[in-house]
Amino acid sequence: MVYLEPAKKHRPPSEDPSTGIRLGVFLGIVVVLFGIIVFRLWFLQVLSGDHYVSLANDNRVRTVSLEAPRGVVKDRDGEVLVENRAGLSVGVLPMDLKNGSDVLARLAGVLDVPYEDIKAKVDKAKQQDPYRVVVLAEDVSETPTVAYLKEHSLEFPGVRVQKSYLRSYPRGPFAAHILGYVGEISEDELNEERFRTLSAGAQVGKGGVESSYDSFLRGIDGRRQIEVDADGRPKQLLETDNPIPGNNLILTIDSQLQEAAEQAIVEGIERAHAGDFEEADAGVVVAMDPRTGEIMAMTSYPDYDPSVWVGGISEKNYEMLNDPAAKNPLFNRAANGLYPAASTFKTFVAATALREGLVGWDTLANCTGRYTVSDQMLRCWNIDGHGEVNLVEAIMESCDVFFYQLGEIFFQQEGPVLQEGVRRFGFGQTSGIDLPGESRGRVPDKDWKRQFGETDELKIWTPGDDVNLCIGQGYLLVTPLQLAVAYSAVANKGKVLVPHLGRQITDPSGSIIHEFQTEVRGELDLAGDTYAALYKGLEMVTSDPLGTAHEAWKGFPIAVAGKTGTAEKLPDDDYAWFVGYAPIDNPEIVVVALIEKGGHGSNVAAPVVRRVMEAYFRTGDTGLGDIEATE
Amino acid sequence: MRILEQVGPRRGTWLTFGAYLRSFDWLLFLAALAVSGFGLAMIYSATHADPGQGASLHYVRAQSIGLALGIVVAIVLSLIDYERYARWHKFIYAGMILLLVLTLIVGEGRSGAHRWIALPFFEVQSAEVSKVLIVVTLAAFLADGVELRNRFRFVLLAVGYVVIPIILVYLEPDLGTALVFAAVLMSMFLVWGIHWRHAVVLATAGALGALTVLRALPAMGVQVLKDYQLQRLMVFLNPEHDTSGWGYQLTQSRIAVASGMYTGKGFMEGTQTHLNFLPEHHTDFIFSVIGEELGFLGAMILLGLYLIMVWRMLRIAGRANSLYGSLIAAGVAGILVFQVFVNVGMTIGIMPVTGVPLPFVSFGSSSLVVFWMAVGILESVQVRSTIAGYSAGRVPLRR
Repeated sequence: MVYLEPAKKHRPPSEDPSTGIRLGVFLGIVVVLFGIIVFRLWFLQVLSGDHYVSLANDNRVRTVSLEAPRGVVKDRDGEVLVENRAGLSVGVLPMDLKNGSDVLARLAGVLDVPYEDIKAKVDKAKQQDPYRVVVLAEDVSETPTVAYLKEHSLEFPGVRVQKSYLRSYPRGPFAAHILGYVGEISEDELNEERFRTLSAGAQVGKGGVESSYDSFLRGIDGRRQIEVDADGRPKQLLETDNPIPGNNLILTIDSQLQEAAEQAIVEGIERAHAGDFEEADAGVVVAMDPRTGEIMAMTSYPDYDPSVWVGGISEKNYEMLNDPAAKNPLFNRAANGLYPAASTFKTFVAATALREGLVGWDTLANCTGRYTVSDQMLRCWNIDGHGEVNLVEAIMESCDVFFYQLGEIFFQQEGPVLQEGVRRFGFGQTSGIDLPGESRGRVPDKDWKRQFGETDELKIWTPGDDVNLCIGQGYLLVTPLQLAVAYSAVANKGKVLVPHLGRQITDPSGSIIHEFQTEVRGELDLAGDTYAALYKGLEMVTSDPLGTAHEAWKGFPIAVAGKTGTAEKLPDDDYAWFVGYAPIDNPEIVVVALIEKGGHGSNVAAPVVRRVMEAYFRTGDTGLGDIEATE
Repeated sequence: MRILEQVGPRRGTWLTFGAYLRSFDWLLFLAALAVSGFGLAMIYSATHADPGQGASLHYVRAQSIGLALGIVVAIVLSLIDYERYARWHKFIYAGMILLLVLTLIVGEGRSGAHRWIALPFFEVQSAEVSKVLIVVTLAAFLADGVELRNRFRFVLLAVGYVVIPIILVYLEPDLGTALVFAAVLMSMFLVWGIHWRHAVVLATAGALGALTVLRALPAMGVQVLKDYQLQRLMVFLNPEHDTSGWGYQLTQSRIAVASGMYTGKGFMEGTQTHLNFLPEHHTDFIFSVIGEELGFLGAMILLGLYLIMVWRMLRIAGRANSLYGSLIAAGVAGILVFQVFVNVGMTIGIMPVTGVPLPFVSFGSSSLVVFWMAVGILESVQVRSTIAGYSAGRVPLRR
């Protein structure tokens, strides 16, 4: 029990009437203060709660992209040409980047990349989507780089090391131009419809079939949602969408033939060097099935190893790939190189002349080795002259004078008869091959000259222009691929086919989900005896002792038809062409060969085609010897 | 059983156990108990998964001990006649000043601050203790001078009485407690019956003083507030643009509270809290955890409990049988309201960061025990007022 003292001194406040008022004021202040809090809580929690819930989720949920492996590219027999290997990439999650510039500066040092580059990349990504990892370096070595980053992870908040798939090329530079390469999607590409579902940082095909079949090869990335704490440490897996791997691409390429073609070019260049054309330094082979349009081999020399692109190409390598002094190894001469077709073009000129009824196969012309057009003296390659030749012999011997005369006849025709005739074979247009950025070439005519002639004089179409076109020179430009398509059309009796490299698409388990069919783009519509005349002439090129490529095909067990060409491309040395197909009665393969600055088609390009044919028909070495140049 | 017994030379009474229980303000006591329990639960939720403390119950255990101690102290204080403090108020005041000075000299604290006094078994945050000491002493000072309340010089003297401990706690530095003292003074002035002209003069002077400290003096190169204090004070206006830790803290706190919506994410389910986006979640920012996990509803329940406590305190102030008791009740109510408003306001971005704990809820034994001490003293006022009222025939003791 406690003693209670009485209240004292003055009246207790309970008896003071003003106490009530003052306590009322006090209570009023309390109510106002609590009211402010209640109102504010109501505003935050009830009115804007949704917004803050998403902020809270942004805080805690990280989406990690799970890269889908790209499909594999194989040759027609299933040999793997492009596959994937596992690599490590280093990136940054902008929103977890604290003291960003310090971390990035340190990271730039570790990765050995310029600080400004990664800073710019991260700043841009931060504005777009701070919750996605920006990859700053691909194919980073495990030791010492990744090991260092892991060891010092506290100094690198927001830096992420991820596993990624990198392209791998088991055969190095083999078929490099066909395969193409893969790289990070560019800003322009991001706006393209076909990449609609992708976001910055995605890897897409950039060249070759990697680009044209990108939508098949590319898988669909998965994602994993992870709950993280304030330091970005993962706490809990919330959700996983598994990645869907890309489909595989089976090419029409026959690796054995491709290899033979690549070796044949090297040998062809050596042959050119031996024959006093020491500047020969580049070449093309295209082998096509004239029945289906399948490209069995396509090679452009010089080539390069596409693995230089993996993980981002260095500036030095990029310059090397595009160095004109090194003959632009990146450049695919087969589909993009533009050349005068030279004498290989005579076949189409002859076909057009026959079709238009301007000459018959037996129309004779007298070749004295020279010919005058508009007061200009032109020579036949054989300065001694071929004497009296008909159309078939003119093809066989590649007589220029015969075709000069045709040129003058064409000039007298109304309308561009010659141009329309040769365009039917596919010249002056893209072939439609499944490669990006193919060249159109050019079949010059009156309109073209009027539009592009640099002086008034050069705007006028002259007889000389038709004459030059008839021997595949002048303003004519073709790609080796166009020649292959055109000769295939001759060989298959009239079908202009769309050449293609894709044969099948298979899903990751290997079952075929799409097969590419033969596509006919046009018909030549030539008469039967026209084919007969052309076939005869082309066959005699190799079989007749007077044929320009007789020596090059001596001893070859299968009858081959073909045409030589020696293109003048001043100031360079002549370019050597040969186009052949075999077997002559039922052609299965058309081969085009070109050696830049290689000299004569007959002794430099024809042997290249012969090597490819040897591989195709599996004849082994058929005893190709030294050859005397004709054309 | 004897209820009242007249004893002694003076007119007084003996308090029996039954009368004590009947006159006890159970609503105040139970509301304080409920809020304390609320606090324990939230501390458990906020800290059970914290790394590095070994046992997941580390904080809850410490707080429970504080709570038990607080209740025992409260009961003891409710039995002690509060009028005794008035008689000893000069000594208590001197003791308090000594304690605060001692803290500045031998006190311990983080990063150069002096806030704790180490006793053999535990540490005491002297600023917390001084809150209850200033209440009982200032109330006595004002009650003694009630006849002089129309003299401005006395009013100024009362201001000076509080300014001395304000300066001492401010030097610790503890800006929050310094402001609490100011709140005590204002509450008591109000109930004491300060002349409205004096109030206007003081309010104007206070506003001018605050302006001087915040704007004019820094402009002249005199820093009364340290940079970090100024930054903390101003950052709530624009937390997103602040690069120091406080902007982050305030932004995360607001996200935590607001993302609780109506009913919260559920007890122990707050992502902001458990994934550590919200530092100091068991101390000054415990209300953010409440808002996040229990939502608007939980916050309203807590605020309702506080409001009940304030109502009971003001009721005690109104029914006290002495001005002294009335002023004590007003002072305690002032502290409670001020701390709730400033602390909750801070977590929802309407008040600056001043480091005031949420009464009965924030982790910290000193604060908890001190608030329970205040409850005990108010119960003493309540019990004695009731019985005195009964003995004077004003209030029936038995209903």
